[in-house]
Amino acid sequence: MNKVKIFLCENSMDGIFTAIYQAWSSGYGHANVKIEEKSEKNNYSNFELFSDYIYVETDFDKAIKVAKSIKSKISMDVYEMVCRVALSNYQGKGDLIYRFLILGFHVGSSIINHLSNETVNKVFKLSRYVNNEVHHFLGFVRFSEHNNNILISTIHPKNNVLSLIVPHFADRLPLEKFAIIDGNRNICALHLPEKSWILVDAPDAKSIISDYDINKYDEYQDLWKNFFDSIAIEARINPKLQRNNIPLRFRDDMPEFLNSSNNPILP
Amino acid sequence: MIVQEGMSIQKKLEILSDAAKYDVACTSSGVDRGGNKSGMGNSLACGICHTFSADGRCISLLKILFTNECIFDCKYCINRSSNDVVRASFTPKEVCELTMEFYRRNYIEGLFLSSGIMISPNHTMELIYITLRMLREVYNFNGYIHCKAIPGADQALIEAIGWYADRMSVNLELPTAESLKELAPHKKRKHILKPMRQIQLRRESNMEYLGINNKYILKEDNSYVSQANLALDYIQNDNDIGEVMTERGLTSFNQQSRPKGSKYVPAGQSTQMIIGATKETDYHIMSVSEVLYSKFDLKRVFYSAFVNVNHDNDLPSTINGAPLLREHRLYQADWLLRFYGFKIKELLDEENPNFNVLMDPKCNWALRHLDLFPVEINKADYYTLLRVPGIGVHSARRIIAARKSAILDFKDLKAMRIVLKRAVYFITCKGKMMYPIKIDEDFITRELLASNEKLPHGVEKDITFKQLSLFDGGLM
Repeated sequence: MNKVKIFLCENSMDGIFTAIYQAWSSGYGHANVKIEEKSEKNNYSNFELFSDYIYVETDFDKAIKVAKSIKSKISMDVYEMVCRVALSNYQGKGDLIYRFLILGFHVGSSIINHLSNETVNKVFKLSRYVNNEVHHFLGFVRFSEHNNNILISTIHPKNNVLSLIVPHFADRLPLEKFAIIDGNRNICALHLPEKSWILVDAPDAKSIISDYDINKYDEYQDLWKNFFDSIAIEARINPKLQRNNIPLRFRDDMPEFLNSSNNPILP
Repeated sequence: MIVQEGMSIQKKLEILSDAAKYDVACTSSGVDRGGNKSGMGNSLACGICHTFSADGRCISLLKILFTNECIFDCKYCINRSSNDVVRASFTPKEVCELTMEFYRRNYIEGLFLSSGIMISPNHTMELIYITLRMLREVYNFNGYIHCKAIPGADQALIEAIGWYADRMSVNLELPTAESLKELAPHKKRKHILKPMRQIQLRRESNMEYLGINNKYILKEDNSYVSQANLALDYIQNDNDIGEVMTERGLTSFNQQSRPKGSKYVPAGQSTQMIIGATKETDYHIMSVSEVLYSKFDLKRVFYSAFVNVNHDNDLPSTINGAPLLREHRLYQADWLLRFYGFKIKELLDEENPNFNVLMDPKCNWALRHLDLFPVEINKADYYTLLRVPGIGVHSARRIIAARKSAILDFKDLKAMRIVLKRAVYFITCKGKMMYPIKIDEDFITRELLASNEKLPHGVEKDITFKQLSLFDGGLM
């Protein structure tokens, strides 16, 4: 029996696309290759026995080639779906995308309709899962104002959605200086007035923020809390419904849920 | 009336958001508008919820009253003139600044401005107009604005304000003219329907002017509400609707008067009705909704379970909680009207004028039409699929997409996360049902009732299936 060749790549869209390029062009055959991405947290991978490991160096040219052919040979919709899957927290997403693309290049743009196929179905679900989180954060991101009118927000998403939510805010607040920090991944999106936004690594972002917090007090947070408390109808108080709609994991980053009487009443 | 001078903005916000909370609508949907480079804000057609208050309702807009001073004395309303509550008013500038600063911090999706009636409807409407215009033109706000049209305000004001709002609403408050007369003696039903009609006609003519085919949009949004088979005869003796529909007395409309690039109330209008304060049946309420959707082109009708905030003797007590289950059933039926191609006459009639509390309206309908079932998943058209209990818009679309490439079986449906709990009694795959099921009304009813319908948290069915009667059985 042939040994399985495992292409081990960086946990990023470019990393996965590079691995797909290499695995595809390696000539080992689809059945004999597997793509594995390193863990997001510590770049660690659990090695399998009886298989050869090939280390994939992320190569932007190759990644762009893969992206281009998905867009032109399958469709823009499929490309967006694949991107979302690549940004999800699902382990094994690299190989899932590989299997999905084999079908995609064969069938074409109608591949998204093949929901009874297990691979397509999984991709569809993951893409929707990431999309739902993106939509949540469009509403749940909270900025606080700091020195020089800079708006800063910290979020802790499950999936790597930062790059998917920033375009919305760049469009919405074109004249503002703002930063959104992903506290789980230590990356940060920066936006300056009339410039395009950028994504940077920010390993010490948290400490900078806590310094900022001491420096300036945002009075509108109090007004907001005030509004939040008085808008609820007492006769209809319903913590379960509230928790259903806004799960606890979001609340640590939202001022209206911090240190006041409206903390969730746990049963 | 207690009016305090020099109140802090904090205090005002507390009073005027507290006073606005009984308004149901807080949706920010209906308009797709990209950001402009000179101001702040954009809008997404799907709407965005920014947080959820302790009652579990979505907060999307900064929902406030401009003032809670009011010359009207409506029995159900906390701000009625005879109530002894602290009164406050914003200034237009205060509203603008609150909106902008909240919006910047992504607390809200926009502004929902309603108001008590201060001095006169026209005076109030003018203040709202000044506020919206300032917000759009001075503060360059490009986000979502929903504002109330005050019944009885001048046509010219309604006309002017529509250019600055995304959505407007006039509250119907109560389904019939009699109830309105009883509970809101200062409001006239005609004064509520008139601005509704005016806004509808203005939107149509504006869309025509811009070359947008309104008929198509109408069909897309409020889809399948066609003229045929509406419960019109039921409300035929409703003179107000007839009169307002045929009215021709609107002043001419000057397209050039519009501010550059704006559309007239692009997200359409909505309204709300109070449920459970008066004696109307569900059939009556839903018939009115059906007319509003089909004849007045409304985007949404909201139903608000009555809470007796004033402990008024003339109104039912809500000590045991507001009629939330009824509200829930009405919303379910509302969805059936708007997206599922149902007519209210199919769901209710004069013999059964209220919804079954134990079962959702679609299940209830399906059980009375077992002759139409089971349907074959691989063949039935979209609207037939939609009529299967448990299959919604998303599921139906997914089935249609998936069956293009494969013949579906029950395991495929499960994999596609289509909930079979209720659907299983009404469908076949490849000509077979999932289990051998007897197509029998009593049997399926029992099974469906046993399968515990998922209701929103806080809504409970604390009723037993059937009250046992001493006289049942033997005697008949």
